[in-house]
Amino acid sequence: MASITTEEESKLLIVLPGDQLPESGLMEDSSAAHRLTLGPGLAPMDDDSITAVKAGILKHNAVGNRWWVESNQRRYVAAQGESIIGVVTGKSAEHYKVDIGASQPALLGVLAFEGATKRNKPNHNIGDLLYCRVSMANKDMEAELECMNPTTGKADGYGELKGGFVIKISLGLARRLLDPKNLVLRLLGQHIPFEMAVGTNGKVWVNSASAQHTILICNAIRNSEYLNSAECGAMVKSLVEKM
Amino acid sequence: MSRLDRTRTSAHQLRPFFSSQNLLNRADGSAQFDFGESSVMCSVIGPAEVKLRDEKLDKATLEVVVRPLVGLPGIKDKAREQAIRETLEPLVLSGLHPRTGIQIVVQTMKDDGSILATAFNATILALLDAGIPLKSILGAVTCIVDSETNQILLDPTTQELANAKSTHTFVFDNKSSITSSPENKDQEEAVEVATLYSDSTGLFSEEEYFECAQICYKAVQAVHGFIRTAVQKKLEKEQQQIHS
Repeated sequence: MASITTEEESKLLIVLPGDQLPESGLMEDSSAAHRLTLGPGLAPMDDDSITAVKAGILKHNAVGNRWWVESNQRRYVAAQGESIIGVVTGKSAEHYKVDIGASQPALLGVLAFEGATKRNKPNHNIGDLLYCRVSMANKDMEAELECMNPTTGKADGYGELKGGFVIKISLGLARRLLDPKNLVLRLLGQHIPFEMAVGTNGKVWVNSASAQHTILICNAIRNSEYLNSAECGAMVKSLVEKM
Repeated sequence: MSRLDRTRTSAHQLRPFFSSQNLLNRADGSAQFDFGESSVMCSVIGPAEVKLRDEKLDKATLEVVVRPLVGLPGIKDKAREQAIRETLEPLVLSGLHPRTGIQIVVQTMKDDGSILATAFNATILALLDAGIPLKSILGAVTCIVDSETNQILLDPTTQELANAKSTHTFVFDNKSSITSSPENKDQEEAVEVATLYSDSTGLFSEEEYFECAQICYKAVQAVHGFIRTAVQKKLEKEQQQIHS
């Protein structure tokens, strides 16, 4: 059994399913003593130990003493509050059925749009692409979506995505694209103007002035997953030069 | 002592490992695992939609499909399917994904003995790649008792299997270990506790069986170590842009 030591913060702390977290290490620097928040990839087991259930990097945030495992996968499991991109696959009087890449299609209420009323509501057809927020996710039920900010009732950028192109990437890469400092997007932005929407369900929508540019951006994003900074720079440079 | 497999000098030596994760584009997780010239590829799809009649209300349905090197799946493959499924069912935290299905396809790529053990190791790597929540990981190794010398040979090739008096495949998890339970002085009993699956064919004595379990247990530690390194390499590659 590999026991985990948390002495080095800079080094990647990799855990595999079955690795137990030492109780002493979990409570180290918490001011709100005896409170512990477990995120994805960690679970309490029958023997009261806290064990990793996914392979990934053990992460810790002192605020609220949060612990989680940063892992990568390709299948989406809906989580509340995440922004995702989905395709309308069905339509009924009260709901749209939206494919978000999870095990079941999600439900989007026809009134869950900015300013929608019973008389005046947006009309979406099957095949439309929507950028929405997961308003409720529960493992036993279908996820529920909304196309507005629940506190303000404003669209906040959510809604239909028109034109452009969608690619599917791994969930880990999608999360890294949401980082404002993301290298590949910064490099691409120096050469090509484009707009994009990243769904944490691994779907990325890209739109630019020409199809050629859109394809180049999609390829660059896909290629960037396993490259380091220098290789990433060279890859973007060669793609832009070839165009 | 020389083995029929000329690349190895010791009876308790495993063949070189090889593994690769995330090779298939359209599966949620995939992996290849090799013991020397034995190679198995495994793909995982899930948690995904499941047929209504297979749906379980409180947990995910595990489906394992084993495909042979050539031809159509036979009884042997069905037995392997059952072995893999029944070993994985307690390991997968299926309660976290109720009313979904997890499909595991195991395809033999090259057969040079110890296929079941190779398949187990490929499967666990694919499950890790797919991010399916697991209680622990597993590792598998096969050994034989040689009919002429009565010696226990680890990780036999097809040639060596032909001379086997008995064949044993053992699967152990990475949680329970002999050393971690010092109160359990009886080592044989400790091995029994840690065993997830054991499959034996042929004639053998009780002593031989426990000796095989003991030797396989030690060898599986190397497999666990290898799986850890493989996962670590993949994660480091993913994270190098952020941490460089």
